[in-house]
Amino acid sequence: MSTSATIFVPDAGQPSVDHGHHGHEQSFFSKYIWSLDHKMIGLQYLWTSFFFLFIGGLLAMGIRYQLAYPGVPVPLIGSLLPSTIAIDGVILPGGYNMFFTMHATVMVFLVVMPLLIGGFGNYLIPLKIGAGDMAFPTLNAMSYWLYVLSGILILASFFVGGGAAQSGWTAYAPLSSTPAYMNNTQMGQSLWCVGLFVNGLSSIAGATNYITTITNMRAPGMTMFRLPLSVWALFITAWLLILAVPVLSAAAAMLFADLNFGTTFFAAQGGQPLLWQHLFWFFGHPEVYIMILPAMGLVSEILPVFARKPIFGYKAMVWAMVAIGFLGFIVWGHHMFVSGMNLTLGAAFSVSTMIIAVPSAIKTFNWMGTVWRGSIEFTTPMLFALAFVSMFVIGGLSGIFMASTPVDLFVHNSYFIVAHIHYVLFGGSLFGAFAAIYFWYPKMFGRMMNETLGKIHFFATFIFFNLTFFPMHNLGLGGMMRRIADPTVYEHLRALQPINIFVSWAAFGMGLATFIFIWNFIWSIRHGKPAGKNPWNATTLEWTVPSPPGHGNFDVTPTVYNGPYEYSVPGMDKDYLPQNEKAPEGARLEVH
Amino acid sequence: MSTAALTAHDSPSDHHASQRTAVFGMTIFLASEAMLFAGLIAGYVVLRLSSPAWPPSPDLPKLPVVLTGINTVFLITSSFTYHFAEVAVKKGKKGTAWLFLTVLLGSLFLCIQGYEWYHMHHEGLWFNTGGVYGSSFFVLTGFHGLHVLIGVLMIAWALIRQLGGAYTAQSHTYLILAGMYWHFVDVVWLFLYSVLYLV
Repeated sequence: MSTSATIFVPDAGQPSVDHGHHGHEQSFFSKYIWSLDHKMIGLQYLWTSFFFLFIGGLLAMGIRYQLAYPGVPVPLIGSLLPSTIAIDGVILPGGYNMFFTMHATVMVFLVVMPLLIGGFGNYLIPLKIGAGDMAFPTLNAMSYWLYVLSGILILASFFVGGGAAQSGWTAYAPLSSTPAYMNNTQMGQSLWCVGLFVNGLSSIAGATNYITTITNMRAPGMTMFRLPLSVWALFITAWLLILAVPVLSAAAAMLFADLNFGTTFFAAQGGQPLLWQHLFWFFGHPEVYIMILPAMGLVSEILPVFARKPIFGYKAMVWAMVAIGFLGFIVWGHHMFVSGMNLTLGAAFSVSTMIIAVPSAIKTFNWMGTVWRGSIEFTTPMLFALAFVSMFVIGGLSGIFMASTPVDLFVHNSYFIVAHIHYVLFGGSLFGAFAAIYFWYPKMFGRMMNETLGKIHFFATFIFFNLTFFPMHNLGLGGMMRRIADPTVYEHLRALQPINIFVSWAAFGMGLATFIFIWNFIWSIRHGKPAGKNPWNATTLEWTVPSPPGHGNFDVTPTVYNGPYEYSVPGMDKDYLPQNEKAPEGARLEVH
Repeated sequence: MSTAALTAHDSPSDHHASQRTAVFGMTIFLASEAMLFAGLIAGYVVLRLSSPAWPPSPDLPKLPVVLTGINTVFLITSSFTYHFAEVAVKKGKKGTAWLFLTVLLGSLFLCIQGYEWYHMHHEGLWFNTGGVYGSSFFVLTGFHGLHVLIGVLMIAWALIRQLGGAYTAQSHTYLILAGMYWHFVDVVWLFLYSVLYLV
């Protein structure tokens, strides 16, 4: 849309972005606010997504408090909650609906995507491919500010008449499309639509930039099959964004029109409520891979470094991601088995979904092959990366259960699903993000994070994570439904209430563990051990420049001679070979 | 694939490389635009196929096929006039007359479309009447009209700049990008006209 006008690079003769000399003085505004440097934009994404992670985490705590202690006033902050959410500190059912709706919306669109794709994508892509910046720096800055705007729109919905959206992050029609179901206070749901539309513009702008940059701006010698896997992952993710996000934008626009202009696209009378589900999940399933592929890519960078071994099966890893990306577009129906779908069609979706287990398993076995018999160093990033692999296996396997229609009919809309998505989204994506933060922090800030605090953070998070989400499988199989404000109302759930209380306290523990991380992150910026260029003895190009890298990244365009994972090369003295160093005589490389 | 390294320290802003990069980026962006319209059109097709009759009620006004057909010709013509503007600029001429004609035709399209909305409203068809018939007509043509408006503004901006001679035979990346967008919007219209009016 209107973004197109800015997709254009300055004509020749004009100085492009000020890629001046290192340490070039910039005003506060052009350095921190409207920065065109991909590294600053990456950090902007990172900090902003931390802010939203805090908000999303608070909402999760609200959800867990309500499920453990329904009807009991929220201590301390209860009286501060707006009257749409709680009265006298007691959370209303509608307020609870807002909590889970906005928790998921915030976490998906304002935390995981911007953190992994916006943050690490922006920071790492140019550095890893040997470029000075993104192809379209202005578009890049615009993408960030559209993200901020979408966040403001989405959070603002708490403060409008009727409060925030209450129909879940999936916003199923007609619940989401009929103003009468919201006492005609459809402002919150409308802001949700607008927020997602703006967020989509941000994603499309970013993805356009990533694809163009990776295709056109690689350093000499950086062939596609010498790209680090994180860049491959972001490249494929960007394609998924380009093809999937606009469909959500279209659906959100239609939903907005239904709510505000009186159209009847998704109305029960004269419209098609199911159409929403098809459009939403056509976007929604690729979205699942949009959130996990970048984490897979980042983890694939970290495992070889701390196992001191090449990645096992580089090309298989690439093609597996391509396959996952492609298959992601033809499986959306598995979210709709209970919608009255034709059973034959359901079987087709079932089979296509199960096929995704094949590339996923290829990746998992290759990660295991990578660490197999390596000289493993259990640093904090390595611990998070290993946790990513193991949690992804649990989440992936429960996904296969649900891909089977008869099983899904039983567990659909139960806490089993909630357990599954948190194993892949928290145990997967967020553990991958934590691994990446600990791993690239030295590059971003020039100092190491504290290892001891990092390990405490890891073990606390890992243990509390499993205590929180594993019992949810049991809750779901015990019959507990998603999205109910008060489980104690249902007789068959009363016996399960102790598990709910247990899960909530584990969740509070996990929330508290995050403060260790916040402290470590902020403290280390000034007091961490100086990192130097290459603290992990890694091979990819970002480790060949100072930490943090100067404006323009490389003094001289690097030339690439090797693949990205040349660790413990036979016939070499040191146990790693940077991508821009020629292999010495007699070295037996993994890839040529 | 080119691996023209653009670290800017050593690249003297190779103009052709930067133009290729911009055209590539625009292509990717248009792919996402295509998916936006694919989502809207797919939704419309589903709604229409599941409706027992179309228009759903015989009282609802028919869409003006002929007037919009003429309007379609205007829009298609504007793609040609734009192309001639590009050709002129490539030959070292200014091409402002062709650009002006394009803006004129684009604006004419918007005016006729606006009249059509007014007319349909007068006949009793609006966003909130006629069920999915009104819904899909106004939302789909509205989305497209917004794109035409943006395109007209982009080309008008090019026209203003070109009056001062901003684009030369060697350097006119903006014209290429705006042209890609404009042709894309035209092609989308052919699909919309076919599915909304003709079928």
